[in-house]
Amino acid sequence: MELKKLLQQWNSFPEVSMEERPVLSSDLEKIVVKNPLSDAFYLRKKLVLRIAVISVLWLINSWQFRHEWITQGNELYPQGALFVLLAYSLYFHVRLLFFADYPTLLALPLINFLNKLETILDKYILSFKFVSALAGFYLLFGVEKLLARASAGAYETLSRNDWYKWLILIFLSISVDILLLNTIIPRYRKLMATVKKYRDGIHSKAQNK
Amino acid sequence: MNNSTRKDGPDTDLRSLLKHQHKRVYSICRLFAHNYKEHQHLFTNIIAAASQNIRTRKDNTDDKQTMLLRACINMAALHSISLELDSAVDRTIQFKSPDFQRSMSNFREAMGGISDLEKFRLFLEFEKVSADEMLSLTGIPANSRATQRKKEAETARKNFIPYIKEKLIWS
Repeated sequence: MELKKLLQQWNSFPEVSMEERPVLSSDLEKIVVKNPLSDAFYLRKKLVLRIAVISVLWLINSWQFRHEWITQGNELYPQGALFVLLAYSLYFHVRLLFFADYPTLLALPLINFLNKLETILDKYILSFKFVSALAGFYLLFGVEKLLARASAGAYETLSRNDWYKWLILIFLSISVDILLLNTIIPRYRKLMATVKKYRDGIHSKAQNK
Repeated sequence: MNNSTRKDGPDTDLRSLLKHQHKRVYSICRLFAHNYKEHQHLFTNIIAAASQNIRTRKDNTDDKQTMLLRACINMAALHSISLELDSAVDRTIQFKSPDFQRSMSNFREAMGGISDLEKFRLFLEFEKVSADEMLSLTGIPANSRATQRKKEAETARKNFIPYIKEKLIWS
């Protein structure tokens, strides 16, 4: 009975007035090429940019690592670790980009769509750990260059003592990670929590039926 | 992204399909939009999503209908999520046309505070989509409880190494 009443109301709905209606025919050309996902959900551009930057860094690092390997330089182990980290970061980001598969994302059934959206956001949040670690390495190299200019003695001590280097590296990486955890990441965490809450709400309602 | 200069072929089919089916898109907007701005925004996003879905699939017309309905449901869900994120959003019904405003207010009052899943069910019911298609559109079967129990039993059998599976497979 209730449904019948709703259906009656539904069928008696007036057309949206012309002033409120999106003009379909002339705007359709623009609408069909528009990206339907908002910036918060559409991470493709960010992932592509990161892949491009990491690829360039990886190529530069390969050359530096090779040079350190041949000359048995002081930076061999940090460059080696950075080489492995850059390679894995590149693999992680490329995998995430292929997994997200944005052109077909909205063609999934609702629950699968929400699950996938949540996984993408979760992995994107995880990718900031790689960013922190990479930032730690490059900040360490920056500190070394600054020391080389400011104090040759301090630079000599640091470049010969691997322990100091690794400790500074860990300190810098954790600092960047804490910075990201308090600036950029909360936005994505909130978004992921809202998607999860929405999906769980749909699930619980479906089970109660 | 789109070859809009082409006059024939798949793009023409897509445009004509969207023009013929745009009332369905208006219909779901009635259930989720609160004002003119939201209505416009949701409508254009659904059309964009539907055209993207259809362009990525080159199958038959039935499949195109499914892609359009999935675009409607998924974009409406994203619209609700976005509204939930922004707590300052005004949720009163505000449309310029007095007739439309009255109908919207009466309809929302009659609907009450139903959940989004119920709104999707209503939308599919009013658009005369069969209950069997519910699973392919939302991923939720019509008879949910029995299927849930069956799924849980299957999952328990399959997830013999749940931790490793969770780490290695992004699903």
